Amino acid sequence: MQATLRWIRADLRARRGQAVAVVAVVAGVVTALLLSAALLQGATNPWQGLFSATRGAHIWLRLAPGTETGVLRSAVHGVTAMAGPYQAASASVVRDDAKQPAELRAMGPHLPAIGRPLLESGHWLSWARPGGVVLESTYAQALHARVGSVLDLDNLDGIAVARVRVAGIAETSDQGFYPDQAPGLIWVLPGVLHQVEPRGDTYEVVGLQIASPAGTAPVIQQAVTQLGTSAVEDVSTWQQVKQSMARRDPLLGLVLALFGLVALGAAVLAIINATGGRVLVQRADLGMLQTLGFTPGQVMTMLVAEHGALGVAGLAAGLVAARLLAPGLLGQVPGVSAGAATLPLGWSLLILGGIEVAVLLATAVPGWRAARVWPVAAVRPVPPQGHLSRLARAAMASRLPPAIVLGTRAAFVRRLPALLTIGGLAVPMIMITIGLGFWSTLDEVQHNPADIGLAAGLTVNRGTMSDAQSSQLISRAPGVAAVYRSVQVTALLPGESTTVTTLGEGTSAHPYPFRVVQGRLYRAPEEAVATQGLLDVLGVHVGELVQMPFGGVLVTFRIVGRIIDPQYDGQVLAYGRDTLADEGAAAPPFAYSLILRNGASPAVTQEWLQRHSGGRLQVTQTVNPADQLGVVRYMIAGVILVLALIGLTNLMTASLVGIRDHLRDVRVLRAMGLTPAQVIASLVARTSVLALVAVAIGVSLGLAACTGLINLAARLYGLGAGIGALPGGLTLAIAIIIAVLMAGLTAVVPARAYGQVPAAGVLGA
Amino acid sequence: MRMPLLALLAKEPAHGYELKILLEQIFGEAYPSPNIGQIYVTLQRLERDGLVRSQDVVQRTRPNKRVYELTDAGREALAAWVDRPSEGPRIRDDFFMKLALSPLAGDTDRLALINRQRRDYLNQIRGLTTLAAQTGPGIARLLIEGALLHLQADLDWLERCQEELV
Amino acid sequence: MTGPSPPASAPGGPAVLLRASNVTKTFRADGGPVSAVRGVDLTLRAGEFAAIMGPSGSGKSTLLHLLGGLERPTSGEIWLDGRRVDGLSQAKWAVLRRRHIGFVFQFFNLVSNMTVADNVELAALMGGASKRQAAERCAELLAELGLSDKAGAAPARLSGGEQQRVALARALANRPSLLLADEPTGNLDSSGSQSVLRLLTRAHAEGQAILLVTHDARVASAAERVISLFDGMVADDAALRAPHRPAAARAAKAVPAVLRLHG
Repeated sequence: MQATLRWIRADLRARRGQAVAVVAVVAGVVTALLLSAALLQGATNPWQGLFSATRGAHIWLRLAPGTETGVLRSAVHGVTAMAGPYQAASASVVRDDAKQPAELRAMGPHLPAIGRPLLESGHWLSWARPGGVVLESTYAQALHARVGSVLDLDNLDGIAVARVRVAGIAETSDQGFYPDQAPGLIWVLPGVLHQVEPRGDTYEVVGLQIASPAGTAPVIQQAVTQLGTSAVEDVSTWQQVKQSMARRDPLLGLVLALFGLVALGAAVLAIINATGGRVLVQRADLGMLQTLGFTPGQVMTMLVAEHGALGVAGLAAGLVAARLLAPGLLGQVPGVSAGAATLPLGWSLLILGGIEVAVLLATAVPGWRAARVWPVAAVRPVPPQGHLSRLARAAMASRLPPAIVLGTRAAFVRRLPALLTIGGLAVPMIMITIGLGFWSTLDEVQHNPADIGLAAGLTVNRGTMSDAQSSQLISRAPGVAAVYRSVQVTALLPGESTTVTTLGEGTSAHPYPFRVVQGRLYRAPEEAVATQGLLDVLGVHVGELVQMPFGGVLVTFRIVGRIIDPQYDGQVLAYGRDTLADEGAAAPPFAYSLILRNGASPAVTQEWLQRHSGGRLQVTQTVNPADQLGVVRYMIAGVILVLALIGLTNLMTASLVGIRDHLRDVRVLRAMGLTPAQVIASLVARTSVLALVAVAIGVSLGLAACTGLINLAARLYGLGAGIGALPGGLTLAIAIIIAVLMAGLTAVVPARAYGQVPAAGVLGA
Repeated sequence: MRMPLLALLAKEPAHGYELKILLEQIFGEAYPSPNIGQIYVTLQRLERDGLVRSQDVVQRTRPNKRVYELTDAGREALAAWVDRPSEGPRIRDDFFMKLALSPLAGDTDRLALINRQRRDYLNQIRGLTTLAAQTGPGIARLLIEGALLHLQADLDWLERCQEELV
Repeated sequence: MTGPSPPASAPGGPAVLLRASNVTKTFRADGGPVSAVRGVDLTLRAGEFAAIMGPSGSGKSTLLHLLGGLERPTSGEIWLDGRRVDGLSQAKWAVLRRRHIGFVFQFFNLVSNMTVADNVELAALMGGASKRQAAERCAELLAELGLSDKAGAAPARLSGGEQQRVALARALANRPSLLLADEPTGNLDSSGSQSVLRLLTRAHAEGQAILLVTHDARVASAAERVISLFDGMVADDAALRAPHRPAAARAAKAVPAVLRLHG
């Protein structure tokens, strides 16, 4: 034991760089995986994270006012804890001429133990701020409200009764996201509740945590029996909440999870390479340890313990890094809330355990192979190799620099290590190429919003102003290149209960410049274009007919093209406004879509219009998803960094192992007159050739996969194919040059040590 | 023994016993100590050949001693000896004669012959190695080292013989 | 060919430490099986210092590796300290080596990433010494070998002779019953060889049993017994005469013809 520890200590001290590299790779992979998994979790199954973060209740009951809830705890079997009862009342918030329904739930200034809202920003309720309320996060988004916003609350009679200020925004697992699940939730102090509903037209809500989460039905049955059927107005279970939260915006999660998975593959490869290479290089020492009395089992245990410890250090570092990065990164990804992106403990343990197992296996296999050999193989003196391969001889005779030819030949002498090295570098390179592709797609979208269907930089609602006044004002506004009148009509899908957004943008003669990726724009009445998302929902293709009911009037459209539009959940049908008039459908008031000149600032135009209309024109800027996706850039950069690290580790291993093998020829060649510089060059050439092959393979596969992957992602998002951009030539060239340079550099350092040994020393070694 | 004595006398005249002491001093313990009688016989022969001449020196308490000195002819003979190359490899080797010729005499085990000779060489090496460790640097140790190298060569040669003949 | 001569020590002398009987080793090579050791019988008594000599390719290193359990014999028996060991597993051999066998190799084989002191202490720790005992034993050995000032150095910074002395210290760290030395001077200059040889002689004088493989007659002659290996078989097993002091008389008799001055 003492001897084992002594050896491990000495080995770690002697190979600090390698040890640090292993720790860094493991840490990087752990960080990447934890963050990706959390994102995936947050994007695809936000309920899970929210439920554990808020210590949610499994069942929520809405009860008649004054119901005695004490029996729920005392008489209902299986209830372990209770939230509430809270007094609640229905209300609505008036915002942008629309009413959004709300439930006011009265709570005190202390957060409850279960069903505990998770503050995202601002503060919780406080007696010090009697008019302060806390909004549920998705409801706040729908209201465009943030901390500090002022809201007007109407009671059920439609009378404005209270003006409140948003003190905080919080997440909850009590109910699904707004507007899928309405009303939206507002936590208020009891005083506000009384102000809105002074007549006491309220109800009670109570949450139950139960012992066996799967068995909600019997608990509900008992509760209803105990409380009486008339007392229970409504019931919701965690299963319903979970279902309603599912699949909100899986795009990012999926993309990053994909990156995480491939990073895991690359990392396992890197770990196998790094630890395996380390073991391979020290076989002579391991044999000597056996002559000193180490049993094969001890040798293996020692290697596994050493690398296992490095692995654990990496895990710890990764865990810390993920913890530090998570709040900053995860909270900012649109559609994924920090609370939802909380990884369940089991998942984290699975990821950490899986990586540690990979490390242990990657060490144990070569370790066992090295330890099983009788030690004589390690201590038997190797006579200087006298043979010179035919190719080496040819290289000496040819005009090509012999070092290059020798290095190239040496690179492929041992197939398996060569393949491992190429694979170990090609896989990160594929992912780096794809990452750069995502990056340039973001660039493209950000600089040319028209490419993804966001031609209009501003939307203007005229409110109480007349069309003539508004048009006149807009035509004088600075930076405006073109104006289209547009109406937004919600249509109920035939035979379904969901609605879709349809847009009458411009006219058939003068259509709005949508980004058409298939077919053409509408040119006549009753022609329309649609997004991929809508085509998928309707199950139709370009060229087919669809019928849309507009307030009782059924309008038939021929879909003549597919467009890209990231708004309205990617489900949009667009046509000329004249179609509605022709069909006699009621046309709602129209707004103006303003297309700005290149380089014009939307903010300047917005401010100008608001000022000159005396605040009567409502001007909103179009939100570019790429601006919101800014955080993805950090993630891509982070993942590329991790991948580069993995590649670097593989290269270091390849160089070390390569030099060991290559020495045989070098001995003879030094004796024959190869200069130290040439020896170094041949060793560098050996690694560089492998790197070049790997980079070539990686970049080609990456480019091939890039557009496809981005289109797939865009399709999931409802955008459909057509926005994928390849990484720029210059970016790619720089990445390739860096990769090959790194390969050369990793070889130079150890090669110098061998290159400068005098020929006699090389022969004697 | 003739030439070494001439060489010693070239420096200065000496009598027989002084020459014996000088030889021992120069060549050390490994060198077989010369017999005093042999030295006198050799000196007499050298005088007979005209290479040295002698004269008696009278001593008060002891018998007279005879001191020898080099003649011109002796000096020439010494110069000729130094200039002449020395004998090369041993062609007439006693052991090899035995090894080669003993089968003619009948039932002989060549391996036993080789082994016996090897043991003898090894013992000689062991003795000389010990002696070398006790001898300071100089002519005397060079003599021992030369002998050791020759013995190693002899052992290698024994291996060759074994390979070839046994 | 005749069989080997009887062992040097008379029956009834010190206890038999190592006995090999009819040991063979056959390697599989490209051109068919190659016999490196072909039926060797050998006995070594406690405290004995024997050298195995032979031309290169005579199987002497292989024999030493077999006797130390660095590889497994194809057939034959090996007994160490009265225990049969030829069939032991790799792990059992390793455990046996900790206390009973010290190894010295031609290329020193110091663990490259450990300091001089660590190399020696590692062996002591393997032998079951406590950390303090190991450190003390290491300091004692290094002082004896004149290497105290190199304790913290990396092996690569030492000369060949110094490295071999460290290897010797490592091999002797646990006072093994048997020291196996494989061409210990094969890679050293003459002064390095001399110092290693002196240390071996001194260890022997203190009762250490040594089996040494060499092709150098001068190294072999330091032993009290020389076993000549030829073609994988023992050709001769000879006890050497103990040299006496003063040596003049004996040496004079031993002086070969080449030494006599012409005259």
